[in-house]
Amino acid sequence: MRFGPPYGRVKVPLWAFLLMAVAALSGCGSGSGTAVDALVLEVVEDPSGTLRPEQVHLKQGGVERLEGARPNLGSTDAAYWVRVSGWQGAPRNARVVLDNPTLDSIDVFTLNGARVLGSVRSGAAYGNPEDLIPSFALPLNEAHELWFRVRSTKPLLLPFSLTQVDRVEATRRRRDLAVALYTGMVLAILIYNTFLAFTTGQRAYFSYLFVVLTVGLVQWCFNGYDRLIWGDFSWMAVNGLAVMGALSGLAALVFARHFLEVRRYTPRWNLMITLLLWVYAAALISAFLGMPSVAYNLVNLGALSAPAMLILSIVSWRKGNPSAPWYFVAWSIFLVAVTMQALRDFGVMSSTPMAAALLPIGTVLEMLLLSFALGNRINVLKRSSDEANAKALAASLENERIVKEQNAELETRVRERTEDLAKANSGLSNALHDLQGAQDQLIQTEKLASLGQMTAGIAHELNNPINYVQSNATSLRRDLEELIQVIEAHVAALSGLASDAPDGMELLAKAQDMARTLDLSFLIEESRQLIQGILDGADRTAHIVGGLRVFGRMDGDNLVAASLGELLEASITVLGDRARSKAKLNVDLEEGLPPLWCQSGKLSQVFMNIIVNAVQATESRWQDVEERKVEVGLSGVKDGAGKLQALKVFIRDNGTGMDEVTRQRIFDPFYTTKDVGKGTGLGLSIVKGILDDHGAQVRVESAVGEGTEFQLLFAIDAMKGGGTQDRNEAA
Amino acid sequence: MADEIIRVLYLDDEEANLFSFKAAFRREFEVHTCIEPHQAVRLMDEHEFHVVLSDQRMPRISGVEFFELVMPDHPDVSRVLVTGYADTDAVVDAINKGQVYRFVSKPWNEEELRTVIRSGYYLNRSRVQNAEQGAEVLAMLEKLAGQVEALDGQLAAGTPEAISRVQQELRNLREGVLQERERYAQWMDRLGK
Repeated sequence: MRFGPPYGRVKVPLWAFLLMAVAALSGCGSGSGTAVDALVLEVVEDPSGTLRPEQVHLKQGGVERLEGARPNLGSTDAAYWVRVSGWQGAPRNARVVLDNPTLDSIDVFTLNGARVLGSVRSGAAYGNPEDLIPSFALPLNEAHELWFRVRSTKPLLLPFSLTQVDRVEATRRRRDLAVALYTGMVLAILIYNTFLAFTTGQRAYFSYLFVVLTVGLVQWCFNGYDRLIWGDFSWMAVNGLAVMGALSGLAALVFARHFLEVRRYTPRWNLMITLLLWVYAAALISAFLGMPSVAYNLVNLGALSAPAMLILSIVSWRKGNPSAPWYFVAWSIFLVAVTMQALRDFGVMSSTPMAAALLPIGTVLEMLLLSFALGNRINVLKRSSDEANAKALAASLENERIVKEQNAELETRVRERTEDLAKANSGLSNALHDLQGAQDQLIQTEKLASLGQMTAGIAHELNNPINYVQSNATSLRRDLEELIQVIEAHVAALSGLASDAPDGMELLAKAQDMARTLDLSFLIEESRQLIQGILDGADRTAHIVGGLRVFGRMDGDNLVAASLGELLEASITVLGDRARSKAKLNVDLEEGLPPLWCQSGKLSQVFMNIIVNAVQATESRWQDVEERKVEVGLSGVKDGAGKLQALKVFIRDNGTGMDEVTRQRIFDPFYTTKDVGKGTGLGLSIVKGILDDHGAQVRVESAVGEGTEFQLLFAIDAMKGGGTQDRNEAA
Repeated sequence: MADEIIRVLYLDDEEANLFSFKAAFRREFEVHTCIEPHQAVRLMDEHEFHVVLSDQRMPRISGVEFFELVMPDHPDVSRVLVTGYADTDAVVDAINKGQVYRFVSKPWNEEELRTVIRSGYYLNRSRVQNAEQGAEVLAMLEKLAGQVEALDGQLAAGTPEAISRVQQELRNLREGVLQERERYAQWMDRLGK
């Protein structure tokens, strides 16, 4: 999108149009009638505005003569009575013209002495559109007096003149044309800039439109054309000028603020602009509150903003605002025009038609200049924006180049890193392989270690019964030999006695002596007990070996239906005095539970491992064996319907217990609380692996100084009939 | 010495072992058995045992610990450890702490155990006799010193009769010392066997 209009091309036609307008207004001014010096104006002040015409006639004493073509009584609430004379002898088609359409009310009385012969009413307040140039017929009788009662909230500027009727109408036509031309120019500016405002979306453009509209309307008000808009809405007719003046003031200030970028260049002036805005706002408010003259005076006070803005534009210029000179020129023109108008109103400058046209021409010039300035500003903005775009483009091209270079570099780097990573990865794979090898070896070592421990336990358990079986057998043989000796001695004695041998009695005595010496009854009793010992020992040996059989092969993967109770008993038996002699073992196994499909050897390993740990934990805590308590239990877990769901094994000890950190890590491989060399730390991690294979839930509760409880929950159907069994059988 | 009966005490937590032991050795030795360690301590205070045997693995106390316990009061008794299975720790403890004389594993060999008990008895005897002989030698030396002092006193008189009497006493004393020397030489010879 390109901003700003091609001003270079439209400048020439605009200037031509402007010159034409000036010429037209000059022409208009030249035909606006000549002030008749012959007219004599005498004025009576009526402060309360209550005087009747008859009373005015009598008040000859307060009469003052008004001098000059454009007498100005200023802004006042009072009514004024003006006796117009000197018209006597004028042609019949002459009219007394009071060319000030802003006056609120004009009442014209024809008096014959104290008698009112006729009256005519005119003025802004009555809103007659035909009455834009108030003109009044002369009295028929030259002896009569002509009185004008004028009252207005606006300055009582009283340009009386004596003009012929056709000249009045011509003036009116010219003025219509001038106002139309002016209006046309303002509208053109307005429409054109409205288009620009919406195209550019610049705030300054919108406030500028506001300025153009209000300044244009003020000019209408000056000429009384505003009543064409308000019609018979008399309040607006009376207050229109003040309202429009205030609005145009507001517009000018807001525009200045936007256009001169006050906040950016001259932030301190912002406060002053705000103050002036409040002055105009106060004018509006007082107008609405029914104080028209206050409103008008406040608008006049607000006129201070004109020089203030001029100074502001200079300050802003010096601060480097490129828009400021434009504003300065435009505002200067406007200010000159306003000043000349004021000078004319106060009679300092002669009221030529050219002078009357100065204000509208000034405003149009101001509008145009500001419009150009706005366009220029847009161009400046556009230029800087183009430059910025070009810079941004160059920068982005540069960036692109850099990015490309960096990309290439990055690719190289990525390739290098990828190679490094691949190397590292293969290194890690090797390390992992080694680690797995080491772990396998450790697991194997652990297995062998537990096998060794088991062997030691079994050896001790077996050696005791074997010892007394063997020893008893030896003793029994000796006893038997002695018994045989006694029996043989008796047999010899008996056979001697039977054959009546001479030494028969001697032999008997000897045999009896032998029986006494060897303590026959003791020998018999001892033999019985020795035999009993042999039987007991054999029994016990068989029992231990039977317990071993339950284990199956230590590394067997085969699933068998085994009673957990038997497994627990076997485990405890095999542990032997590694458990029983070191702690008080309390075993409570529920009878009649169904067998569980399991890898019996591995489960026994699990039970032994946990029991040994429990015993060791109590050993660490208690000196006295009686205090060390380990409970081993087995029970069925039933669901709500009384159906057996799971088997629960618990192993509870009153040992040292574990803290939370240890409890959470006990199943981690290589985690151990034992001294270096005492345990590989693999025991419980293998236990966990086996339990996981059995789908068992493991719960460990422990508290330091209270003990530890392992709860193992085996679901009845977990291992039964599933694929595991088939697979294992297949394997 | 050979006519003395060897008194043996055997401590084990298994009744069957105690019975076997008694049945095996009651003919040669005076065998005492007991199942409780505190009972064994009392028995040892009541009788003078030559050899004490103990099982290593017992519920309340190990064999080594038992020996440690009784050693201060009965240093001369020969201690024999009997065990079903010996791990290295137990062996090391047995030697260092319990000052065990011999180590016998179950099932025991009766002949071997018999020899162990006998040699244990001899060890005990020689220890006791050592102590007795030592005391005897000490007493004799003191007696000798007394006699020498007495002779020294007689010499102080200086008369010819006194000198000849002292000479006679010294000859007798020499005879006595030589006899004692002969006795010790024989004893030493016997020990050397």
